[in-house]
This record gives sequence, C-alpha cells and structure tokens, in this order.
Amino acid sequence: MTRPPAPIRKASPGFGLGLRPVHYPDFLREPHALDWLEIISDNYMVPGGKPLAMLDAVLERYPVAMHGVSLSIGSTDGLDLQYLADLKKLAQRAQPLWISDHLCWTGVAGRNAHDLLPLPYSEEALRLVVRHVGQVQDALGQRILLENVSSYLEYRSSDMSEWEFLRRVAEEADCLLLLDVNNIYVSSINHGFDARAFMRHLPAERVQQIHLAGHSDHGDYIVDTHDHPVAEPVWALYREACLLFGEVATMIERDDHIPALAELIAELDRARAIAAEVLDTCEAVA
Amino acid sequence: MSAPTLVTLQTAFHDHLLDRPSAIADDVAAGGRIDVAHRLHIYHHAYRARLLDNLRDAFEKTWAYLGDDSFDDAALDFVEANPPQHRNLRWHGADFPHWLAARFPQDPDIAELAMIDWQLRRAFDGPDAEPLAPAALAELDAAQWESVGFRFVPTLFLAPLRFNSVGIWHALDQDQPPPPADRLPDPAWLLIWRKAWQPHFRTLDRVEHAALSQLLAGASFARICASLGEHLSDQDATAQAARHLGTWLQDGLIAGLTTA
Repeated sequence: MTRPPAPIRKASPGFGLGLRPVHYPDFLREPHALDWLEIISDNYMVPGGKPLAMLDAVLERYPVAMHGVSLSIGSTDGLDLQYLADLKKLAQRAQPLWISDHLCWTGVAGRNAHDLLPLPYSEEALRLVVRHVGQVQDALGQRILLENVSSYLEYRSSDMSEWEFLRRVAEEADCLLLLDVNNIYVSSINHGFDARAFMRHLPAERVQQIHLAGHSDHGDYIVDTHDHPVAEPVWALYREACLLFGEVATMIERDDHIPALAELIAELDRARAIAAEVLDTCEAVA
Repeated sequence: MSAPTLVTLQTAFHDHLLDRPSAIADDVAAGGRIDVAHRLHIYHHAYRARLLDNLRDAFEKTWAYLGDDSFDDAALDFVEANPPQHRNLRWHGADFPHWLAARFPQDPDIAELAMIDWQLRRAFDGPDAEPLAPAALAELDAAQWESVGFRFVPTLFLAPLRFNSVGIWHALDQDQPPPPADRLPDPAWLLIWRKAWQPHFRTLDRVEHAALSQLLAGASFARICASLGEHLSDQDATAQAARHLGTWLQDGLIAGLTTA
C-alpha cells in the first residue's frame, strides 16, 4: 500500500492580523478572536529591548508567522548572508508557523531602495530567484512563502505573465505562495490584466497564506498604501480566492492610519464570513 | 533592441531612483492609463517619501524643532547625499546628526538635538542586560572593595554637551516652545541608557563624568575614590563616590562586577 504524498502546504491556522506596536497593550491585556499573528521580521531583527520582549509575550498567547521585507530574493547582488543568519536567529526564537518575504528586489550594487521593486518576468530572473530560494530554504530548513508585490510598471523585457512567473518560481523552487489579493487587484488596474485569470493560473496546493489590505485610488492608477479598510473589489476577489484555494490562512495588513484593534477584528470577521460561506457552498455542492 | 541583462536593468532602475542618468525608461512597457514617465515617477517619489518618513520618525524632536519645511529640506538633501546601504532601514539616520552639523554650521544645537534623538532610538532596541541588584555589593568584603570595578549596561552612551539641548528636548516633548539655544556655561556630558524598556537620559557634571569614564575604561571603584580624594578630604571623597554609586545602581546602569 502506498501512502498518499504529504500535502505541500500546511493546514490553515485560521484568521489573523499583523502585529503592530500600537496594539501591544491590547494583546497583552486580554485574549482576542484571532487565530494567529504576523510580525514584520525586520522590526524584530534587533539586539534587544521592547520589541523582542513584546514578541516573547505575544508568543505565549498566539502562534506567529514571520513576514520580511528585505530578503531581496531577486537582486543580482545575491543574498545577504548576514541578513539570512539574523532571520534564522529570529526564527529560532519565534518558532513561526512559516517565514515569508516578497518576490521582488530591494536594491543593487550594495545600495538599498527599501522598496519592493518589480522583477522582469524573464527566464534570467526566474533562474536567479529559483537559485536564491533554494539557498534560503536550505539555510532555514523549511519552505518559504513568496508574496506577489503590487507594481506600477511592467518591463518590455518580460517574456511571460506575472502569474506564470509566480507559478514557475513556486514549482521550480519548491516554495509556497503568500497571495496578496489586494496587490493582485492593484496591479490588475495599473496594468490592465484580468485579476481572476491571475489567480486561476496559480498552483492551489502551494497557496499557504492570503493578505488582504486597503489601497489608495488615484483615478488613473492605484497605490498599495495599507492605510484604508479593504476595498469592495478586493473582497469580491477574496471570495473568488476562497473558491479556488479552499481554506487558506488569511490576514489583514494595516500599516498606516491604524485603527483600534476591535475595528480590525471586525473587518477580519468579514473575511471569516466570506470564507465560511464559500466553503459551506462548496461542501453542499460536493 | 536586445533585452538588458537583469543586472543592467536593476542598476538603471536604481540610478533612476537616485536621480542619476538612467536608460530605464527604454525598458518600461508603454500603454495603459498612465505614461512611462508617470510610472517611473511613482517609484521615484515613493523612495523619497519612505526615507523621509523614516527620518521624521527617528528624529522626532529635531523635526519639531526645525519645523516641517526646514526639516524636510534637510532630510531630503541628506537622502540624496546618502543612499541607504544597510539592509535594515533603521540604520539610515546614523550619519544624520553629523550631516546636520555641516548643514547648519551657525546652529550646532540642531545637530546636538539630533544626536539625542538618534541615541535614544539606539538605546530603545539596543542589547539587553540585567541590572545588578544592590544586594550584590553588600556581600563584598574590604579586600574585594579594593579591586572591584563595574560592568555597565551595553546601551550606555556618553557624549559631551555644548548647548542646552536637553532643555530644548524636554520643552518639545511637552509641546512647549523651546528655549533659545544657549551655550552651556560649564562643561557637561549627556548620559543615555535604557532601564527596562524605556530609554533614559540626563546630564553629568565634570566630576561624575570623570568617575564614570574611568570606570568604563576599567578602573576600580577604589581608584575612583582616590581620584576624588585629590580634590576632597578622604571622607568626603568616599561619601561622594558612594552617592554616585547609589545613583548608578538605582538607575540600572550597572550590569555586573569586575575585578579591575
């Protein structure tokens, strides 16, 4: 008798929020209707003090996922081994659900833009990213998640679509995906592609986590600002994502104009309701 | 036209962000509701906005002291002259206080205030250390007191002060108009450290600074008492050294004992 292959992605821990310092007192005071929290890894890759003390206290209460912004997996500079070592040290402390970063580059020639810059979707970029993901996963001893970034330009030198690039990176590097539904929407407006087609082309068994967030609509284009509630078209896309990918760990990112925790939890309840409704319907059909 | 290699494309993109000559526009696809120049401008603008926000956050009192326009002008010039090279954005302001000293040579109080902002930020998430419990000293016998020295918490920072920037900092912290910048009549030093999770600072006079500096350099406590005795009676020197020691213990500045 042969065993079925182990699933690539882990079972969903449920619904979470990004841990932000303004909410530390709320998290320490009482339990909240949250299944897990996501930390910005870079903010805790510090020598000591309050950030790490708060992290330790939160870890006693919630499982945590680590989400970084500076791995720069697509930079031709190669990986920063010190950064990778610091990330591993934090992972040893946090024992996270998983570790994620972005499918992008943040700088070149030793300079850092501190922005999530888009890659060309080319064979050369694909080979570079696949090689780097392999190095990172070897160092961390686990599969990482890569997130699709929002972008404001496309390159003439791209020779495949973003979703094909994302799918090939995930499959060829054997990593997981953090699907940012807001970023798909933002980029679909900025570049005029079909957001649903984007999602339909992704390998469902590798979608480990979903990000929801708000954006700023400038009329002719949209900027991914994380300073508003999740927009209606993004909720509609999320419903579609639940249909395509099933039960996926979902969270809301808010980085500016951060409201009271209760308000974010109420917004997250909408995600819970959408996911439950879609999954109930699927089960009824089955 | 053949496609640029990835390194060429990334270098050209980054040069564009830094306002240097760049051919990146040639590789950006045209079409859609906004043109290539506008698409590139979004990244050009975001780069500066993010770095400016980071400096405003790290130099909160300096920002309040200079006001939005003057701070932003200086910060954006600093950004142009100092592209970030660290992986973590938190380090980008490290040279900003020195840079402000050159930017405002007639107003060195600005750089001094920025130095306080920066060192408080460093103390905030600097290395942890358990402060020494005062009871540990009660266990020392007379012979041990002859050679004992102290290990200080790793967030301890000492720097000379020339202006009333500590008073300026406190006024700004309470949303009060800051006093006019004024040179201090006597030499003074700034002491910054973290106690539990909270960064602290205060000024030191010449005597306390000399004692602390010698201890930091590895001198024994007995040596400090002897130094103070050069200007005071033995009894007064010991009493003054004991007062300082009590304050340092209470402030959580001492992390352990050493044998000097």
